[in-house]
Amino acid sequence: MFLPGVEANPQPSPPGDLIRIAQASETEYPKIWHMFAYRPGATAHLGEFTQGIMRGECPLSAGIRELIAAFTSYRNDCPF
Amino acid sequence: MPHISLTEGLFGIRSLFAYRQDTAKPLCDLADVLLHAPGSLSAGERELIATYVSSQNDCHYCQTTHGAIAACHLGGNDSLVFDVKRDFEHAAVSDKLKALLNIAGKVQRGGKNVKPEDIERARREGATDLEIHDAVLIAAAFCMYNRYVDGLATWAPPEIPGYRERAAYVAEHGYRGIPQAVSAPAGR
Repeated sequence: MFLPGVEANPQPSPPGDLIRIAQASETEYPKIWHMFAYRPGATAHLGEFTQGIMRGECPLSAGIRELIAAFTSYRNDCPF
Repeated sequence: MPHISLTEGLFGIRSLFAYRQDTAKPLCDLADVLLHAPGSLSAGERELIATYVSSQNDCHYCQTTHGAIAACHLGGNDSLVFDVKRDFEHAAVSDKLKALLNIAGKVQRGGKNVKPEDIERARREGATDLEIHDAVLIAAAFCMYNRYVDGLATWAPPEIPGYRERAAYVAEHGYRGIPQAVSAPAGR
């Protein structure tokens, strides 16, 4: 990660809790959690947006929506 | 002509906010945190980053509206906004903002284009981790907003009616009131 200040400063938040639990049990975890824990005032809105667009009312099933997200991420060469 | 049926009389992303309120709210809340809420970069600097990324994405609506909001924060300086869009390395902005605009431009072309030397340049010019983080998130978020606006072919005329007035309002009050404003016919 380019920014050690981000990795070293998880703020009190649900993703911050996940990081603590994973680190305490020496479990590998996705580093994107640090992005969500660094600036929860901003990323909480991203979470709410993701929930709305992925699970909100829509004729497309949640599975099809996740396939669209996975396909786009594949095209963007983003394995996570 | 938009690809889907949208409210007439609303332009760009506002027509999409009116279409889907449950995603409009978090998108406006995010814009408010990134661009308007107090931060170590000024609102004008953050709007310049959003405007630059939108211009690189050739998004007429976003670069026009955020350019106008940036100008409001910068004392009405439209020519500075123009200079940043055209060639920020020679614009009258701080070296720190130039380094952050350089990173934002790399993110616009794809996140993996950001290299350690880009981060080192920003640090050398005094940017903090939070400022680098926010520049990347603004750039990434505006790639999303720009693609959302153009991927549905939202309508906006070359001269967007009322955009200067709305820009002044947003520069003062932020983004949180927009979902409600676009859903109330009188506030459009």
